[in-house]
Amino acid sequence: MHDRRGFLSATLAAAALGLVPGLAEAAPLTRIKALGVLRVAVYKDNRPWSWRNDGKLIGIDADIGTALAKALGVRADLAELIADESVDDDLRNGVWKGGLLGFQAADIMLHVPFDRAFAARNDQVAIVGPYFRESFQFACVKGEIDCNAPPASFRGHRLAAEIDSIPDFYLMGTAGGALAKNVTHFLTGAEAVIAITDGRADAVLASRAQVESVLAERKSANIARRTMPLPALPSPGWDIGMAVKENSRNLGDAVEGILAAMVASGELKAIFERYGVTYTPALAA
Amino acid sequence: MKGRLMRSVAGIAAIAVAAATTAPLLAAPAGPGDAELMADASSTGDVLTYGLGPRAQRYSPLTKISAANVQKLVPAFASSLGGEKQRGQESQPIVYDGTIYVTGSYSRVFAFDARTGEQKWKYEARLPDGIMPCCDVVNRGAAIYGDKIIFATLDARLVALNRNTGKVIWNKQIADYQAGYSATAAPLIVKGMVITGNSGGEFGIVGAVEARDVNTGELIWHRPVVEGNMGTLRGKDNGITGKLNATWEGDLYKTGGGATWLGGTYDPETNLLYFGTGNPAPWNSHLRKGDNLYTASTLAIDPDTGVIKWHYQTTPHDGWDFDGVNEFIPFDATINGKPMKLGAKADRNGYFFVLDRTNGRFISASRFVMKTTWADGYTKNGKPKVIPAGRPGAPNGTEKGQAVFSSPSFLGGKNWMPMAYNQDTGLFYIPSNDWGMDIWDEPIAYKKGAAYLGAGFTIKPIAEDHIGALRAMDPKTGKIVWEYKNKAPLWGGVLTTGGNLVFTGTPEGYLKAFDATTGAELWKFQTGSGVVGSPITWEQDGEQYVAVMSGWGGAVPLWGGEVAKSFKDINQGGSLWVFKLPKD
Repeated sequence: MHDRRGFLSATLAAAALGLVPGLAEAAPLTRIKALGVLRVAVYKDNRPWSWRNDGKLIGIDADIGTALAKALGVRADLAELIADESVDDDLRNGVWKGGLLGFQAADIMLHVPFDRAFAARNDQVAIVGPYFRESFQFACVKGEIDCNAPPASFRGHRLAAEIDSIPDFYLMGTAGGALAKNVTHFLTGAEAVIAITDGRADAVLASRAQVESVLAERKSANIARRTMPLPALPSPGWDIGMAVKENSRNLGDAVEGILAAMVASGELKAIFERYGVTYTPALAA
Repeated sequence: MKGRLMRSVAGIAAIAVAAATTAPLLAAPAGPGDAELMADASSTGDVLTYGLGPRAQRYSPLTKISAANVQKLVPAFASSLGGEKQRGQESQPIVYDGTIYVTGSYSRVFAFDARTGEQKWKYEARLPDGIMPCCDVVNRGAAIYGDKIIFATLDARLVALNRNTGKVIWNKQIADYQAGYSATAAPLIVKGMVITGNSGGEFGIVGAVEARDVNTGELIWHRPVVEGNMGTLRGKDNGITGKLNATWEGDLYKTGGGATWLGGTYDPETNLLYFGTGNPAPWNSHLRKGDNLYTASTLAIDPDTGVIKWHYQTTPHDGWDFDGVNEFIPFDATINGKPMKLGAKADRNGYFFVLDRTNGRFISASRFVMKTTWADGYTKNGKPKVIPAGRPGAPNGTEKGQAVFSSPSFLGGKNWMPMAYNQDTGLFYIPSNDWGMDIWDEPIAYKKGAAYLGAGFTIKPIAEDHIGALRAMDPKTGKIVWEYKNKAPLWGGVLTTGGNLVFTGTPEGYLKAFDATTGAELWKFQTGSGVVGSPITWEQDGEQYVAVMSGWGGAVPLWGGEVAKSFKDINQGGSLWVFKLPKD
């Protein structure tokens, strides 16, 4: 009971409860190393970034979170966050305050848009470490649709999109609403992509990571990807980074160093490739 | 001789009581059944239903506390809901057989002794991590039936507890919380069935009304409220709601919204359930052409089959988040010399509707808030005269769009808090709010880590001196007879009595009493935290009691802006307060 190990674990348990003032108020990085755990918030049901496969939490963000913890010499505690109405709400629930029903705020949250105006209005967090450039991708079943044709010509075909997403708004509204009756809605972008691989839709508009990962897993040969830009698509793409509490900048600095090393060693690229996604550096990186 | 007979009768009664208390396990203890629930509006010794009767008029004929003596009202006791969960007490208590049953935030139920306030038992639902209730952690009340207390939980379950012990009798999932469903309304019990609506996120769900066996929780019927979706009765298909694709394009009806999150009322005379339905999804009205039936509507449903008998849509093709869930209260009145069976609803959209409750025919719509920017009244056929410039624009995603000022704000001219109808004055008492919002396209919006076409908004007051207003509405003329203005938004329910009184709470912490005829404020008491629950009254041991929950919370504090200035100094709490007149 009085051996060193017993004392240590008691101290850490007390620190976890905030009972050891020195440790609770220590610089976040020191505290994480003392506790031996990095709590990482990732989105729930966000394939290919973080989702459950046979009960196991996997995905690009899950692997990056684990790698960050490993580089810090601690264990990763991956916490699945349910998306609220906007990422601003998610930052409150996931990083700086915690959820109303007891979701404990994480040390770091992945998959946060890296955008100057967005960061400016979320001043309770520091958004760091941009690690990917995301964009929307249109993909078609070969022989059903000419993927590079003007969108108005898609009329009469089954078009898949995640409900209440930019792809949904775009397909419902483009060409004066001519395609509105043809849009089939899914609860996630990945499900929308799966629909074109098993004959339930002729084309899909989803994020590039969603399209690439599903097509890689399904080894679908008969799918073409649009190479021309979609006219008047409201998003040119966006950078994805990470968020830490505003007062955790030394954690943010440490993570940026680890990320740079992961890029240099090819580890980051390998994580993306594991899920069939082409690694594209963030524009801001 | 007479005295001796009395004593012996008393002796027999004492033996009977002893027998009952020593043998509670032999037979299920009796309790209120269908007949008692249907008669709740006139039985003054108890409060058995949400709304003081299935019509939910929130009217008690009791007169002992009246406009003449309410100034003397004092607390009898207060009971704490304890712990750290001190927020958002939107519940209405139930009173039966010397016990007050009240639900608390975070899906809890408490039983308190109605004479002393001592806790008899409490039940705390074990909530899973993965729930994301949209609008705070509230619950609005329980139902009582026989030996059971039944309530709904934030993770979309119905739980029946033994009302004497608080032990679970049955516990049924009514929807999948992982798919975004939740439950906060008080259940309605009709003909041995628990009737509930559903609640959930802004997309991906379809509103529905369901009936379950009160003794087992087994589903009897399911009625989706969005046209094109199939209903069921005892496990078999029972016809689709409305007509497929009549007012929806493509497959949007499968995720059309319309959550029935506030529950419903029942009129035994017409044998109809009345349920309000929420706003349609997705939020951007430009992507879902058509009226989007039956969202933002009141539905009359046959409780025996779950078939929709009539509908009236208060906000066709909603684009302002004016969901139509508000309670529809049956009442009778003589209009133009003709006695009529009517019903009334004060809507989020700022209009007070009177309909013929037998067939849904439109009688009138009267504005009960300062300003409506989205419509300028209703035609005599019951269609809104929509002002096109008042509809938020279609998002274009490239730049910040033109801001549209909209009143009421999306929190509504009236939100969840129930109004009351006084049979003596013939007036409805509406807890309303005067506020508006600027709404614009927000190009830099993100959802689940991805770019998104969002809308930015700020809620703001539209008057110098108030946001909240308790208004007395004459349903026959559509005129407001009196109003009481309150600085902070009103968020609690209303009670009215035969003593010419109206009770309601304020976020500033007061329970207040008003003269039902004139609106004069007669009494107030500071409860220590904001009052957002619904008051009740009953008679016990020859005295009239009034009770209300105190505990600031709900949707209002989740949104800030200028409106937050009116409530930023209000403290959290979680207590049941009970009042009576002092004995002479």
